[in-house]
Amino acid sequence: MSRWRYLAQRIAMSVPVVFSVITFLFLVLRLGPLDPIAARLGQNAQGANVQRLREEIGLDDPLWEQFADYLVETVTFSGESWVVRNGTDVSDMLLEVAGPTIWLGVWAIVLPLFIGLPLGFYAGLHPNSASDIMANVTGIIWRSMPNFWLAVLALAFLRSTGNGSGPFGFDWYTFGPTTQSAVGTPNLDFATIGDVFGAPMLTGMDWSAFFVDVKLILPAAIILGSSSMAAELRLGRTAVLENVNSNYVETAKAKGLKGRTIVWKHVFRNALIPLVPIVTNEAFILIGGSVIMEQIFNINGLGRMYFRAIQTADVPLAGSIVFLFTVIIIFLNILQDILYTIIDPRVGYDQ
Amino acid sequence: MSIETTTQDQRSNEKPLIDVRNLQTAFFTDKETIRAVDGISVNIDAGETVGIVGESGSGKSVTARSIMGLVEKPGQILKGSSARFHQLETVKAYASEFSDHTVEVSQLRDQHNPQDLLDRIQSDISPETFDRDNRSDITLTDILAAGYGDKLGITSERDCVFITGRSGNRPENITSGFIELTRLEGEMQRKMRGGRITMVFQDPLTSLNPVFTVGNQIKEALDLHRGLTGEEATREAVELLEAVGIPDAGRRVDEYPHQFSGGMRQRAVIAMALACEPELLICDEPTTALDVTIQAQILELLEEIQEERDIGIMFITHDMGVIAEVSDRVNVMYAGEVIEKADVISLFENPKHPYTRGLLQSIPGGQGGDRLQTIEGNVPTPNEPADYCRFAQRCPKAFDACDVVHPKHVEVSEQNDHTAACLLYPEEKSQAGAVSLHREKGKAGDGDRMRGEKQ
Repeated sequence: MSRWRYLAQRIAMSVPVVFSVITFLFLVLRLGPLDPIAARLGQNAQGANVQRLREEIGLDDPLWEQFADYLVETVTFSGESWVVRNGTDVSDMLLEVAGPTIWLGVWAIVLPLFIGLPLGFYAGLHPNSASDIMANVTGIIWRSMPNFWLAVLALAFLRSTGNGSGPFGFDWYTFGPTTQSAVGTPNLDFATIGDVFGAPMLTGMDWSAFFVDVKLILPAAIILGSSSMAAELRLGRTAVLENVNSNYVETAKAKGLKGRTIVWKHVFRNALIPLVPIVTNEAFILIGGSVIMEQIFNINGLGRMYFRAIQTADVPLAGSIVFLFTVIIIFLNILQDILYTIIDPRVGYDQ
Repeated sequence: MSIETTTQDQRSNEKPLIDVRNLQTAFFTDKETIRAVDGISVNIDAGETVGIVGESGSGKSVTARSIMGLVEKPGQILKGSSARFHQLETVKAYASEFSDHTVEVSQLRDQHNPQDLLDRIQSDISPETFDRDNRSDITLTDILAAGYGDKLGITSERDCVFITGRSGNRPENITSGFIELTRLEGEMQRKMRGGRITMVFQDPLTSLNPVFTVGNQIKEALDLHRGLTGEEATREAVELLEAVGIPDAGRRVDEYPHQFSGGMRQRAVIAMALACEPELLICDEPTTALDVTIQAQILELLEEIQEERDIGIMFITHDMGVIAEVSDRVNVMYAGEVIEKADVISLFENPKHPYTRGLLQSIPGGQGGDRLQTIEGNVPTPNEPADYCRFAQRCPKAFDACDVVHPKHVEVSEQNDHTAACLLYPEEKSQAGAVSLHREKGKAGDGDRMRGEKQ
């Protein structure tokens, strides 16, 4: 089977998954105790106002009709928010808040990948050395501290460092680029996209704005990525250790290869195989984690908006966000399978 | 496979291809020191197959790894060990490439008297340390190769090329010399491994890297030792695969190891080992993981390769049947020591050591009775110096002296070079006479055996 056919098959198979997820959300929100009218007009609202609003957003239509509208609106992002920002197009709202979440997600994936993995590989290559034990202990500590707790602690600490009152005169507000608040929503306007020969291209970078944005997101990203970082460290170590002691490494040594070549060519690629699902699975967790992190760190992102949409039974908005999350997760799954076949020739598309 | 087919170089040199003397490799753990290889001496000529046979845990693989320089911490080759690689072309190449690490023994002979040097060595040494019978036989070369030259200030730590004879000043004029394998390091070591000495491991299923094509792994060796890349390397890799009997090699070269069967993988590993035209091939149980028909094919292949390329083969196995088939000479190992050595015919027709006899009796179908005879018990862990016979506990013929006297190699038959390390021999002497002979042999020189000094 070719790679493309496999891809098409996987996408076709994901349709029922998406359908069940958004249907389930609809059932929970419409048949559950949440009431968008109460969320908008208050718990005690009665009479003509309520009736008008019910008709306006179509709550009195037959349920199947509501469901059909909901399905179409959700997958095309064409609905209008009921409660969170009533009357605003869902697509506009998503575009507005997606930026900070993606910014957070990218850093929360990149940081563990570039800190956790190298540390794990180093520890695996130097087993039972002092640095290995250090890395391992730190890994366990990071892994066992819950995100939300760590986030609150970090926030309290960063706030307390104002006016140089942190340890050794540390002041988070003036550390690096100066910021007004310890954390917040990044602006993300550091890049200038211009028209180059008819195609949108990056034409300018405002580095100071870039660093401000990085600084704002850094605490949240580190904490959000902390458990992934620890997981990647520990699994990276195990994977390397397993491969370093394998027979093919001995064959490579007997061939006269340099230690460096053995590690970078032979061990590295084999050690990546068990790490692919770890990295992609950690990415799923980030989506859930971002809801909490954005709430604590006051970042106006998708996760926070999703939380509000669910609380207020804003069906069109919540549906579209869940649809987006589902698509991302399915995409990551497919990406994981494809990465597998690229890294490990033993995995193929055949049955 | 015969001893007659030695090369011109070897004949003029009159030295074996590789000459291992008193090789000792120990593993230092917190609990104990395990002498996995405890003073073995083996030599292999070009074109000859020397078998090393013994039970699991007798130190066969550690011997191979020591020669390859693949012993890793906590393992260490001890001082006093020597493994000399005599192939003249290699010595010349090394002497010109690594002239900083070359020692002109022929010139040092005028300045140093071996007997004086022996007196200055502070470690426990005996003629046995240098695999010699008498103290007066010990030469300067022996002392330097065994690593005692460093402390005496004659050699420096990384010296490993020893020139013992030359007819002029240029590297091409070298007439005899050797490379001391136990002293190799870094670049010199890597050039030797895979280039001059290669190794085929036991398990073909795991000894190839699963994520690279077979061709890629062969080409890696070609690039490293012969500088072949691209098209040329691919062509050579295909030729090698054809040479080891892989059909449709042109297509196979781009396949991954998992697409090969077990026997084919072992062929591919052998092709990889041959890629750089080695002088010595060490086969560490290459057929153990294969079924009997494939085993026969692989053995046949090795024989063909040897005839064609005139390489020396060290063949390690626990299978007496395989040993009988492939080797010219056999060394029987037990608990880190060689306890009997002979040419293959004498060993099988006329085994002398009780252990060898036991091994031969425990071949299924080899004897009459209903039950297969076995040697009771297991190989002991050699964790203390051998001042007794390590086989005594399991030996049917053991007597009191076996627990206190360490047996030395003695001639056991008129045929040349058949020796056994057992207190029962020499046969013509009385038991007491034989024991005192072994005791005397052990006491020659300074009287004590090396006590495992780290190099």
